[in-house]
Amino acid sequence: MIMMEKVSETAAGTRKNTNRRIPFLVIASVLWIVFVVGVALLADQIAPYQYTALDLPNRLASPFHPQHLLGTDELGRDILSRLIVSVRISVLVALGATLISACFGTTMGFAAAHFRGRIEQFILMLADFQAAMPFLILSLSVLAFFGNALPLFIGLMGFYGWERYARISRGLAISASAQGYAGAVRQLGASPTRVYLRHILPNISSTLIVSMTLTFPEIILMESSLSFLGLGVQPPLTSLGNMVGYGREYMTRAPWIMFAPAVLIVTTTLAISLLGDWLRDRLDKGLQ
Amino acid sequence: MTENILELHGISRTYSTRQGLFGRKVPVHAVDEVSLSLQPGQTLALVGESGSGKSTTGRIALGLELPNSGHVLFRGAELPPAHTSAWRRMRTHMQMIYQDPLAVLDRRLSILDQVREPLDIHDIGSASERNNKALAMLDAVGLNANYASSLPHQLSGGQRQRAVLARALIMQPALLVCDEPVSALDVSIQAQVVNLLMDLQKDLRLSLLFISHDLKVVRQVSQRIAVMYLGRIVEYGETNLLLSNPTHPYTKALVSAVPVAGRRTRERIILKGEPPNPADRPTGCAFHPRCPVVRPECVSVSPTFSTLPDGRSVACHAVDAAQPTKEVGI
Amino acid sequence: MLRFAAIRILRAVLTIALVVTFAFLVLRLSGDPARSIMGDDASPEAMAAFRREWGLDQPLWAQYLHYFAAILHGELGRSMRGGGPALDLVLGRIPATLMLTLPALLMKLAIGIPAGIYAALHRDSAIDRAVMVTAVAGYTVPSFVLGLVLVQVLAIWFAWLPTGGTGSLQHLILPIITLGVGGAAVLARFVRSAMLEVLGQPYIRTASAKGIPWAAVVRGHALPNAAIPTVTIVGFMVGNLIAGAVVVESVFSWPGLGNLLVVSVTARDLAVVQCILLLVAVAMVLSNLIVDFLYGFLDPRLAEANSTGGH
Repeated sequence: MIMMEKVSETAAGTRKNTNRRIPFLVIASVLWIVFVVGVALLADQIAPYQYTALDLPNRLASPFHPQHLLGTDELGRDILSRLIVSVRISVLVALGATLISACFGTTMGFAAAHFRGRIEQFILMLADFQAAMPFLILSLSVLAFFGNALPLFIGLMGFYGWERYARISRGLAISASAQGYAGAVRQLGASPTRVYLRHILPNISSTLIVSMTLTFPEIILMESSLSFLGLGVQPPLTSLGNMVGYGREYMTRAPWIMFAPAVLIVTTTLAISLLGDWLRDRLDKGLQ
Repeated sequence: MTENILELHGISRTYSTRQGLFGRKVPVHAVDEVSLSLQPGQTLALVGESGSGKSTTGRIALGLELPNSGHVLFRGAELPPAHTSAWRRMRTHMQMIYQDPLAVLDRRLSILDQVREPLDIHDIGSASERNNKALAMLDAVGLNANYASSLPHQLSGGQRQRAVLARALIMQPALLVCDEPVSALDVSIQAQVVNLLMDLQKDLRLSLLFISHDLKVVRQVSQRIAVMYLGRIVEYGETNLLLSNPTHPYTKALVSAVPVAGRRTRERIILKGEPPNPADRPTGCAFHPRCPVVRPECVSVSPTFSTLPDGRSVACHAVDAAQPTKEVGI
Repeated sequence: MLRFAAIRILRAVLTIALVVTFAFLVLRLSGDPARSIMGDDASPEAMAAFRREWGLDQPLWAQYLHYFAAILHGELGRSMRGGGPALDLVLGRIPATLMLTLPALLMKLAIGIPAGIYAALHRDSAIDRAVMVTAVAGYTVPSFVLGLVLVQVLAIWFAWLPTGGTGSLQHLILPIITLGVGGAAVLARFVRSAMLEVLGQPYIRTASAKGIPWAAVVRGHALPNAAIPTVTIVGFMVGNLIAGAVVVESVFSWPGLGNLLVVSVTARDLAVVQCILLLVAVAMVLSNLIVDFLYGFLDPRLAEANSTGGH
């Protein structure tokens, strides 16, 4: 027991050390994420123009045009305004999909841990299948059969990465039930709902949140790839990938149409990935 | 003689480990034909090495696991099936404390919340009554109100075990299963927790099923002992008799391994051979590969219980043949 | 070992069956196939005839069995656009895709593995940091952005290489680089962490404490053990050879399988999409199977544990 206390002491010590210095890149990432989310929330207020508004005299204007900071596209639509609205749609899709995937995956993981046996094997088989099949191909086939609407698209993206949450929550729930706090609480007479929602879920939430920060940028990439191919978010709505795919046709004459959203995709996914990596390292240290 | 609070009749439990959807099943006999009884207010100790099935027996006694055969009677009635609502209500009468108190406490909830939780679960009393009851229980196990808002990792090992004990006893159960409750604690703290447990047993008229590998602690707490080896009981009887005059060669070895103050020259029986593996159980008497007095029939025939004049039961071919005379004792 | 093999093969077959079921369910859930294939303006008689011909008037389970049987016979329907058998159309596109993905795979292996090993052995050095930063960038820059940037710089501004299409070896360069760079970065990062994990093990410390030269410890103990997890991700890359180029083929207008998939999805050419889906599934399952056997070969304990049932 003395040894155990020493271990927890040193664990607390390292936690203090990591608290003291947060790397500059992580701070920058957090600031950037806050900025992007702010833009997404306030899109209507800060966009200088309607994203569909045409300015025919100023078609394909270059950036730093007096009326259009980032220039215009071939119909004279303001790139900055379109970019701001695209951020909102992309963040909405990625956030919605991440939440769906986390909820669905965690529920499946809990179901596997609770019922064990054939149900568990079946869920694990589905997870293996999901992990083995390239998600892009799966979603393309679904889109081919069902067509595309925004809610359906978000739902489809919500299947991205569910198997990771399922595996994590199953593993942690099983170990908590076998000899741990969850088994003890069940022994006190607690119902499964109480065991899973009041005890296991809060205890594994930090691990799940780290997985979400690691899945979130991947969903942004998946969404923008599909939208780039013209199979994701459909016009007149616009998303970052959509803008890149669209701007590609004017690459030689107006590369800015394409580069502005491309830069935004890269910086945002990079910021979230850096934050996620850092959180994961910290959590690993905290667990040891 | 009063009615037994807990009776196990011919309990067997076999695990089959299986890999994947189509894996081959490998049976492991964790508990084999175990029968025990416990009287109200008394303590029965289950003793054995790890892998002897003593913890599984404890879990079966609580209805946490279902035996493959045999049945468990609590106050003369069979336990309801596990994880049904009747089983959940039964939890107010039978509780458990564990070897590692940190593992069985929720790290994110305060001690008070966790001690109060059984009352929340079973909807006993109003919110303020629950808090008062939990504080009183904490006080009864020697944790004052300052610790109520602490988190588990802020307490010492002994304090955590006291908190787990408070949580188990707040519903005033009749039966408490203690699975190696002090073996993870410092020796100095072990004595405090054991004394607390015995005081509470007297106050609350608790019946204890005390699972341990530590004969010193067992001698202090228990009236009766059952020694288990690879899922079977090999010797079962009153604590004093069993420890002062063990008859089964395995019990003898266990008793001889306990260091005793004052007596320097005592023969220590060192067991030879591999430690037991439940997945690969020897034929006949499971103890025969390590037994110092092994006989030819031990390899093939499993010994049955014989009752000695002092009321003990022993399962050993050698004991059947010759009554033991040599005294080892603690 | 035989039992291990049998279980793995059975699982592979099951996975394929799962994909077929998935395709069937998606196909049936997406609406009335008769209407979607014949069009809204078809006469009721024609629709009824179509349903009878394709067995759509039978109960769902019978349709499912028919569907399964047809696929087992290699009947995967006809392309609605071209009219020919979907399977022929799909198989015809494979060589073009492999022309991109095979060299890209070699590039990933040739860059990713040495870079990862080097970074792990020289942890926290400038090169390690460079590898890690590149790896994060390679992981966060989507392939269409990388491809378009390469096109913009090398094809449009400098005009060294064609922007897209086919015809010469020069047409291959940009797509292969686009495919290879991201994968190499991911692989380098993975190899690095696998190596670091192995290098932290007690047996490595024991080996070097015994006085075995460090290079020999790395060659004899660290590399073989780090190879085990690496095989998994390389296996995934091999399985992806057929389908891994969807986006890049679109960027460079390369007439491969990915391009066909995108065009077919846009045109709702269901037979072709379903055919590609099955083909990709078969490729993934086969490469997983190979990885499983390689695992058994590299680490006999795993095969043993999987076939006897212990943990």
